[in-house]
Amino acid sequence: MGAVAGHSDEVVSITQARVGATGGALRWSLGLGVLGLLATAVFYFAGGPSQHATVLAGYLVAFVYWLGIAVTATIWNAIFHASAAKWMVVLRRVLEGIGASLPVFVLLFLPILLGMSTLFPWARPSSAMSAEELELLTHKAPYLNVPWFLIRAAIYFAVWLLVSDRLRRWSLKQDEVGGLEPTRHMRRLGAGSLPFLALTITFAGFDWLMSVDPFWISTIFGVYYFAGSFLSCMSLVAVVIALNQGNTTGLGGAVTRHHLYNVGKLMLAFTAFWTYCAFSQFMLIWIANIPEEAAWYVVRMKGGWAGVGIFLIVANFFIPFFTLLSRELKFRPRALAVVALWLMGVHYVDIYWLIMPALFPAGAQPHLAHLAALVGVGGVAVATALWRAKGHFAIPVKDPNLSYSLRYTQA
Amino acid sequence: MSTGTAPQGRTYVLGQFPTGAALVKACRQVREKGFTDVDTHSPYPLHGGDEALGLKRSVVPKVALAGALTGMFGGMAMMVWMNGINWPMNVGGRPPISPLSYIPITFETTVLLTSLSIFFGLLIMMRLPQPYHAVFELEAFRSAVTDGFWLSVAQAPGSDGKEAVRELESVGATQVSVVKESLE
Repeated sequence: MGAVAGHSDEVVSITQARVGATGGALRWSLGLGVLGLLATAVFYFAGGPSQHATVLAGYLVAFVYWLGIAVTATIWNAIFHASAAKWMVVLRRVLEGIGASLPVFVLLFLPILLGMSTLFPWARPSSAMSAEELELLTHKAPYLNVPWFLIRAAIYFAVWLLVSDRLRRWSLKQDEVGGLEPTRHMRRLGAGSLPFLALTITFAGFDWLMSVDPFWISTIFGVYYFAGSFLSCMSLVAVVIALNQGNTTGLGGAVTRHHLYNVGKLMLAFTAFWTYCAFSQFMLIWIANIPEEAAWYVVRMKGGWAGVGIFLIVANFFIPFFTLLSRELKFRPRALAVVALWLMGVHYVDIYWLIMPALFPAGAQPHLAHLAALVGVGGVAVATALWRAKGHFAIPVKDPNLSYSLRYTQA
Repeated sequence: MSTGTAPQGRTYVLGQFPTGAALVKACRQVREKGFTDVDTHSPYPLHGGDEALGLKRSVVPKVALAGALTGMFGGMAMMVWMNGINWPMNVGGRPPISPLSYIPITFETTVLLTSLSIFFGLLIMMRLPQPYHAVFELEAFRSAVTDGFWLSVAQAPGSDGKEAVRELESVGATQVSVVKESLE
């Protein structure tokens, strides 16, 4: 950690560092990713039709898990631009880097398109459904139909790719030409894109997560998905900081304990935000106790899933919240990274708990393919991010607020 | 002659500095020279000011936590007693003691007592309200609330403050004044 960034010679050494030595990490993540995806495919094709649902659902969980982190990295970045935040300039490349993995998710989305009829009951109304359920699906058909689903997916990806790419491109351009023009562009787009980013991730949550159970609705569901992803994204930033600690000429040399402290505070705040969203959704449905709403929670509170729900309350709120209350912990990169990895792990369980009960109401049926898909999608996404970061500066070297950010201290 | 030694107020040496950074730097230097009762006065919080003053970590977080826990358990206990024991009521078929439905109010009482304990805790710790302080004796000191950066060095009652005046001048104060605390 660069304790004194004020010395001119140290600033020079920091600003000359480009991301280059990621060769090992890039190879490893790409190797693991390809291996994971291949293993998932093998499980799908070798397992026979009986395995299709569980493998595909596991893939969907992994996909929305990593995609949420990549999209919310762009949202964090847009928010920081919109609020003209100066402290986080040294961390901006990390957010831009995570967001730069988004293009690969277009490819990774294909298996979900191909498996639509297995994953989403509305895509294959069957005679096994009750008359009431079929009536509900007919009622929802103007929204939940295949062509419109595809168009919406295209819109989501278009918005995400456009915003993340523009923000990143202007930022990289500033590294070369300097000046205030890129900053002005980034701030304008950052602020202007927020409503679109918010709507697209909300509706993506509806489409790809909530509609695995098309008979249930919750208006806050998109926010719930966003909240967990947003928290995991900031946790990933904490992990990246910890991994870069030894790298004193790059990110590790620029990020101080004061930046880390802010990252920890944001993790604490969004732990509470996740809980707030989760409880808001649960409480209204629980207290109204209307069958068509409550059914979703009944599945998740009875039988094999009850334990998972309780685990989420304890593991995603009580443990991280009271751990992150400690000020000293938020100054220590390794300790914060441990909490961050914990939160990212629990977020996976959270997504799993949202999707899987729709297909397996009796309880969780862990499958090796679920792990393979998690590693596969994650590995490929990380590899994409590292590959695209290669050769660029680890911090925005000509940002007008960089010197402020390097010297940033807590009052 | 000996009309009795009337109790004397403390002597305060006040120095103004051109910038916040200069104030923080001067504060550190003055404390290194052995002056102990030093305080900074600025229109806004200064980065590094706490360290320069050698302040220990504030106890406000602990006060806040105490308020939060009181509000949390107190709020929950209040509703359990009122809705469940003192006047049991059937609302929507829920049991009289139904902790889940108490959570929103528990959250509110937690926030309320947290903020109140911070507010009153700060008042007590800062010894506010404080209608009089020796630094108010100096008219120029009023700029501390608009654009002035001031350092005050408190000296023992009866001191002429010469030593502190020299010290403040040597660390770059643009103007230095000596005021005496009035005990009336």
